[in-house]
Amino acid sequence: MADHNPDGDPTPRTLLRRVLDTADPRTPRRPRSARAGAQRALLETASSRRLSGQTKTIAKGRSRGARSIGRSAHVQARGHLEEQTPRTLLKNILLTAPESSILMPESVVKPVPAPQVVQPSRRESSRGSLELQLPELEPSTTLAPGLLAPGRRKQRLRLSMFQQGVDQGLPLSQEPQGNADASSLTSSLNLTFATPLQPQSVQRPGLARRPPARRAVDVGAFLRDLRDTSLAPPNIVLEDTQPFSQPTVGSPNVYHSLPCTPHTGAEDAEQAAGRRTQSSGPGLQNNSPGKPAQFLAGEAEEVDAFALGFLSTSSGVSGEDEVEPLHNGVEEAEKKMKEEGVSVSEMEATGAQGPSRAEEPEGHTQVTEAEGSQGTAEAEGPGASSGDEDASSRAASPELASSTPESLQARRHHQFPEPAPPPGAAVCPPRSRTTGPRPRQDPHKAGLSHYVKLFSFFAKMPMERKALEMVEKCLDKYFQHLCDDLEVFAAHAGRKTVKPEDLELLMRRQGLVTDQVSLHVLVERHLPLEYRQLLIPCAYSGNSVFPAQ
Amino acid sequence: MEEEAETEEQQRFSYQQRLKAAVHYTVGCLCEEVALDKEMQFSKQTIAAISELTFRQCENFAKDLEMFARHAKRTTINTEDVKLLARRSNSLLKYITDKSEEIAQINLERKAQKKKKSEDGGKNSREPAEAGVVESEN
Repeated sequence: MADHNPDGDPTPRTLLRRVLDTADPRTPRRPRSARAGAQRALLETASSRRLSGQTKTIAKGRSRGARSIGRSAHVQARGHLEEQTPRTLLKNILLTAPESSILMPESVVKPVPAPQVVQPSRRESSRGSLELQLPELEPSTTLAPGLLAPGRRKQRLRLSMFQQGVDQGLPLSQEPQGNADASSLTSSLNLTFATPLQPQSVQRPGLARRPPARRAVDVGAFLRDLRDTSLAPPNIVLEDTQPFSQPTVGSPNVYHSLPCTPHTGAEDAEQAAGRRTQSSGPGLQNNSPGKPAQFLAGEAEEVDAFALGFLSTSSGVSGEDEVEPLHNGVEEAEKKMKEEGVSVSEMEATGAQGPSRAEEPEGHTQVTEAEGSQGTAEAEGPGASSGDEDASSRAASPELASSTPESLQARRHHQFPEPAPPPGAAVCPPRSRTTGPRPRQDPHKAGLSHYVKLFSFFAKMPMERKALEMVEKCLDKYFQHLCDDLEVFAAHAGRKTVKPEDLELLMRRQGLVTDQVSLHVLVERHLPLEYRQLLIPCAYSGNSVFPAQ
Repeated sequence: MEEEAETEEQQRFSYQQRLKAAVHYTVGCLCEEVALDKEMQFSKQTIAAISELTFRQCENFAKDLEMFARHAKRTTINTEDVKLLARRSNSLLKYITDKSEEIAQINLERKAQKKKKSEDGGKNSREPAEAGVVESEN
């Protein structure tokens, strides 16, 4: 039992040995538990965390093993100790534990020793001083918390995910090895990874399948979609949400060439669409990254089911935030899928929402532009500031828009009041990394309509349509101003990208961030956890913050 | 200690009051000019309101300027900061831009002059001034 490891490489075993050898066998408290007290004192002082941690690990590791049987036997053998003292327990551990290190995998069946484990563990846990946090729970849950503690020691970074797995009730079948060893821990942790993938992606952005911004987009987009479907405003053009700022001239980029199969009624729209899409046909195939397509394919399918207007609505609305890339992709995916059934869907759309189709060709152009940048948008690179791009894109889009109305006037006539020249800049999200060209049209306005609806909701009073329109205009001006400010701030700092510092400066000017209230406080107060993790670095650690090593 | 803080507080307060009085006086003078110009009288309350407003706005400006300078990672407030501050009102921005260009020009001329003079002679008295000008320019 004597491990004579060099002092420079202390193993838990050696440390334990040392402690046991040097500990005063008499406690100050009671003669009976003299050793326990001494042990306690020693353990608490001499070794501090490391030893106790290792002790903990050893205790758990060993306790899980079949050796627990042996230990209890040993315990009984030490008849002179009527109760289990930490010293005795540790001695038993050393006696019974194999020489192998903790890191060696051991194949011990957990459920079998579990009941035996529980007993000694209970006794041990009664000795709280040793910080043996062996669970006093049923065997089914014994493993998880037990694993947790060593996990905490060995793999701190993974604790949060493990905790999630625990919370979700790790299937016991996946813990057959039941080893408390680190390696088995790892394996069991790996097993836990297998089951809940989502929490992982939430906790560990590095493991997320897609950039976190996308996730945020989903929520917002979904809500907006819900709202918009309920109102079913057909206005929104399909475009918008373009990740790229540069409006490629003539919108060559990215479309499938829609089969120009004019059908009665849908002819004009389709022809216009077909023309554009054909020109940009090859571009799309080249540029569209598989990833967004796949990701968005599912959504696109749904959208198709709902008919065109809905999609356009959602995409238009989403124009506001990072939703853009997502919706852009959705539109693109949808367009792809519509290759065959264009006419059919459009016919449906006509029946449902005529004007939406009118918007569509315009949307096409913008979408095409955007699509080229789809890949970059998803890469979440720090895109250019919104202001300039918006302006340029706006310039481009009206031209295209104007070309189409000729063919689509019949459908668009009632659209005109809405698109009546919006005052310039499109809504630009404060933290937009890649903002595409935003036409001052319905789609952009549709994005504001979301806020207008919020406004009318909170007003708790019926509101006139004129009032709502005014509100929309005010919002438009406000956001425009906001984005201009952000752009100017970024330029003032000699940058071309809008960064959180610029936003903080803006909020400071608004009086939201003061000397008493910092940005982080606001983030914590108002944003959901996913955003908070993005914004506040320490939130990454999932509530287990250790001093930097 | 508390007394010191108090007296300091009082001093600051009285200083503030003096400043406010100065602002009030200036506002009064300006209002008189405008009144003569437009042939419309200003009531006392109006002048008081305007001066109070001006004072508070000056506070805001100062804080904003400091924030802008810090945002640009500088410790000195620059003409750029002032321009950023004035961007809201177009006419004011234009005015300030013109003025700043004027000042820049004046500095350049002064620099040229000083270079000439230093070439001729008498460097000592000029150099510190020159350095100051250069720094303010930069």
